[in-house]
Amino acid sequence: MIGELFDPRKEFGKAVTEAAASNPDVVVFSADSGKSSGFGEFMKKYPERYFECGIMEQGVVGAAAGMATTGKIPVFCAIAPFVTCRPYEMIRNDIGYMRQNVKLVGRNCGITYSDLGSTHQSLDDFGLMRLIPGITILAPSDPGEIQEAVKAMLAYKGPVYMRIGNPKIPQIFEQEPFVIGKGKLLREGMDVTIVTTGSTTGSALKAVLELEALGVSTELIGMPTVVPLDRELVRRSAAKTGRVITVEEHYVCGGLGSLVTEELSDLANVMVKRMGLPLDYAKTSGDYEELLAYYQLDHNGIVNGVKEFLQ
Amino acid sequence: MSDKRKAIELMIKAERCRENVIRMIRAGGHGHVGGAFSAIDLVAALYFHAMNIDGADAKNPDRDRFLLSAGHKCLAQYGVLAEKDFFEKEILDTYGKLGSLIPGHPDMHKLNGVEANTGALGHGISIAAGMAMAGKLDQKAYRVFVVTGDGELPEGSNWEGAAVAAKFGLDNLVVFVDNNGLQISGAVTEVMSMEPIDCKFRDFGWAVTEIDGNDMEQILNVLEQLPLEKGKPTAVICKTVKAKGLSFGENQTDFHFWNASEELLRQAEAEMEERIAGLQKQLEEMKQ
Repeated sequence: MIGELFDPRKEFGKAVTEAAASNPDVVVFSADSGKSSGFGEFMKKYPERYFECGIMEQGVVGAAAGMATTGKIPVFCAIAPFVTCRPYEMIRNDIGYMRQNVKLVGRNCGITYSDLGSTHQSLDDFGLMRLIPGITILAPSDPGEIQEAVKAMLAYKGPVYMRIGNPKIPQIFEQEPFVIGKGKLLREGMDVTIVTTGSTTGSALKAVLELEALGVSTELIGMPTVVPLDRELVRRSAAKTGRVITVEEHYVCGGLGSLVTEELSDLANVMVKRMGLPLDYAKTSGDYEELLAYYQLDHNGIVNGVKEFLQ
Repeated sequence: MSDKRKAIELMIKAERCRENVIRMIRAGGHGHVGGAFSAIDLVAALYFHAMNIDGADAKNPDRDRFLLSAGHKCLAQYGVLAEKDFFEKEILDTYGKLGSLIPGHPDMHKLNGVEANTGALGHGISIAAGMAMAGKLDQKAYRVFVVTGDGELPEGSNWEGAAVAAKFGLDNLVVFVDNNGLQISGAVTEVMSMEPIDCKFRDFGWAVTEIDGNDMEQILNVLEQLPLEKGKPTAVICKTVKAKGLSFGENQTDFHFWNASEELLRQAEAEMEERIAGLQKQLEEMKQ
């Protein structure tokens, strides 16, 4: 139901477990990260397909890639920086270069580990993953989209990195099938385009409603697939409004903002502003919502960002 | 057939494979000959004696798998694959050339028989463990063979893979450590010693043995015994000689990567032909 709150990790784990019922190739790797990734049910139902390896992300990614060469579909979920940064070379070579059908999922993404500091926050995962040729990057925005993204990810043959959060999130949209590579035109407008992804989508939608009340006609694009970017949708909207602002729970460089800026760099009369976190380590810690507000990534921050951009 | 006779036949094969390596180095002008020649006797024995694999059906899901964790030893595998008819020998002459199917580190998407894109060190054991885990899960009989270099053992990822292999009881996985004792910067024991290597694998829960990795009879003997222990992965520490078979290059760090001259290439070929002639003579004598 719209507005109802769900734990993204449980929704993710549930969706994988459901898919595993009809697909015997789905296997799960854990680096001491199974239960907290929502795999409690999977462990009970499919113990022979659940591989607990302890805290060793390099070994897990290598073994997952090796297993994928035989036709299995390994899913590995853990805290986002430990999935992406720690075994980066294994992702690059064993999964990317070897083109293996492994699904990596970084949970507690962005600054959702708001009080644990930079070691546990992932503000560079889009940037890191996008530099590995052939990897698809997904960032679903609500519980229903997570479930649908999991289905699409497991049905798709190729390496995928998906990012999900930690705190409960509301259902924003009616659940519909997830199409990898397709952005969503969530609101149509004429003055400015907001392009956002994943966790900031709800705040951006709220900001758009406020901006409209202030007389700013705002187009909103949700990008649950970050790579490959829905280039056509971005270009069409940019050509219409001439002003594009990207919003993401990621560094302002390397992620969605960089992708959109690169895409639009050959268009005359288009300005782009990127909203995200500065390329820096955590300056402060605390409550997640407070921290989002501190970094201007709550709906008020987005409204102010758009207003400044249009001045 | 006697073990001795089988060993001599495989030694001849290994020399033919060495000749293929020389052919590649002539084409490219250089190559990682040291590690290729220390490991090539073992690789030849695996393909010509132990492994259930066929170049005409190289993607068969039931095949045995061979991975080079030390991907720079790929000349050894290319040399053997060519001799085993996985590809036309003319491809050997493309080594180092634009568009070659046999690049300086192996690429599984270019050449049948290559199971993993290695080159960065310390990846092979984990990848192989994943393959072996799938074999157990699917109750398949295939085995997974890995060659690692001794110089790559300080990579911590090896030991992550070693722990996984032990935990999941992968007795369908065999790792051969090509213990030639030399790496680019000098003696492995001086650069970063991982001795005693056998104890490290044993402590991780592996069954371990040691052989002379350039002695074909010892290689055949160990291949007959696999797995050394049911329920455990096997590590075979192969004491080898770097650049084995090049009289002018054996046990020399400079021959880790060889910028070859035509004169020495010819000398190498002459030495190989001489050894092959000697081995064939031994075979003839055994017939009589």
